[in-house]
Amino acid sequence: MRRDFAMRDEMIAYLRAQFPQADARDGHISETRGGRAAAEAALAQVDPPRYAATRNRLNGAVTRLSMYIRHGVLGLAETRDAVLAKVRRRQDAGKLVNELAWRDYWQRLYRKLGDGIWQDREAYKTGLHARDYAADLPADIRDGQTGMACIDAFSSELEETGYLHNHARMWLAAYIVHWRRIQWQAGARWFLQHLLDGDPASNNLSWQWVASTFSHKPYIFNRENLERNTGGVYCRDCPLRGRCDFEGTYEDHADRLFPNVPDRVRDEWQR
Amino acid sequence: MTDTPGAIVWVHGDCLRPTNPALEAYPDAPALFVFDDALLEQYQISLKRIVFMYECLLELPVTIRRGDMTTELLAFAAQHNATRIITTDSPAPHFTAVCKALRKTLPVVVLDEPPFLDYDGELDLGRFSRYWRVAREYAFG
Repeated sequence: MRRDFAMRDEMIAYLRAQFPQADARDGHISETRGGRAAAEAALAQVDPPRYAATRNRLNGAVTRLSMYIRHGVLGLAETRDAVLAKVRRRQDAGKLVNELAWRDYWQRLYRKLGDGIWQDREAYKTGLHARDYAADLPADIRDGQTGMACIDAFSSELEETGYLHNHARMWLAAYIVHWRRIQWQAGARWFLQHLLDGDPASNNLSWQWVASTFSHKPYIFNRENLERNTGGVYCRDCPLRGRCDFEGTYEDHADRLFPNVPDRVRDEWQR
Repeated sequence: MTDTPGAIVWVHGDCLRPTNPALEAYPDAPALFVFDDALLEQYQISLKRIVFMYECLLELPVTIRRGDMTTELLAFAAQHNATRIITTDSPAPHFTAVCKALRKTLPVVVLDEPPFLDYDGELDLGRFSRYWRVAREYAFG
């Protein structure tokens, strides 16, 4: 295949022609550049203490290294060493090193489980069976037409940019699995189509963590949590403001979403 | 090991850096990356992921092809009269399957990535918390 391109647009036009099926599935192009030079530029921007303090917020100082690490543009050990070189005390990079360790953990599990990452590792802890969850992703989620400003924005961002903040991934996954009762595999497949950092192990096992097939409780959230961590940008203009499905306490949601969960399983959630 | 007649390097999607172990150990060997049509189809990969990987590849000294991974690698090896294929390790089942298919024709040398943990002992992977209880001692290098 060709290697000589005067401009990025020329390369993109060439790839559209070479991969017409991928283009037809979704022809969006991300602003995020591939390559070692771009990866090193992103690495130079990393601020470990700020990362630790702000990472849960959508506008926090996240590293955006994931796509480079996923494809080995940056080695994992090499990234850790570069991060540690930025701080005087290693605990100042503790959270970031911990997150890099998640990558190591998922990769070790991938080696052990292989394609088993596509199967439920454990039963759902939601009082529901796998068969109670629909197999396919509904079109309104994929098309960003649910009417919920946050969910629709995350859906569009995923397809247009190939990237989502980790918290947005968790909210979107929880919405799909728990509020819509869709099998996590359907959401996992969708993410892998689009995420530049899409790695089958990290992706699927994280979906299983949300779903509760690889954790002791389902991950859920409420509007207050989303509003706080997004600076309110979605809720502010949402047509469903004040009456959306995420209104209420965690207990309200747990009661409504998982009405049949046995007490012994619910007790385990507290563990 | 810089002068290595008879070897080709296989660069795959888990090691797209110029310093990956295979490229570093065999800098003069012809290197190949293959976009595997079946894999793109299986995962229904969208164009932006291909563009991202392509930009990574343009910074590497590799020939880029598309088609069937094993077929293209063996054809490239034959073209260069190679007697073995050098690559970098990956946990992906597809990688293992391709290595197995290649080995019916040529030996494959798989080089390890530098380990994240300098630790060879047991790790409980049942939950991250159990892994971390041990790994935290080694994760800081």
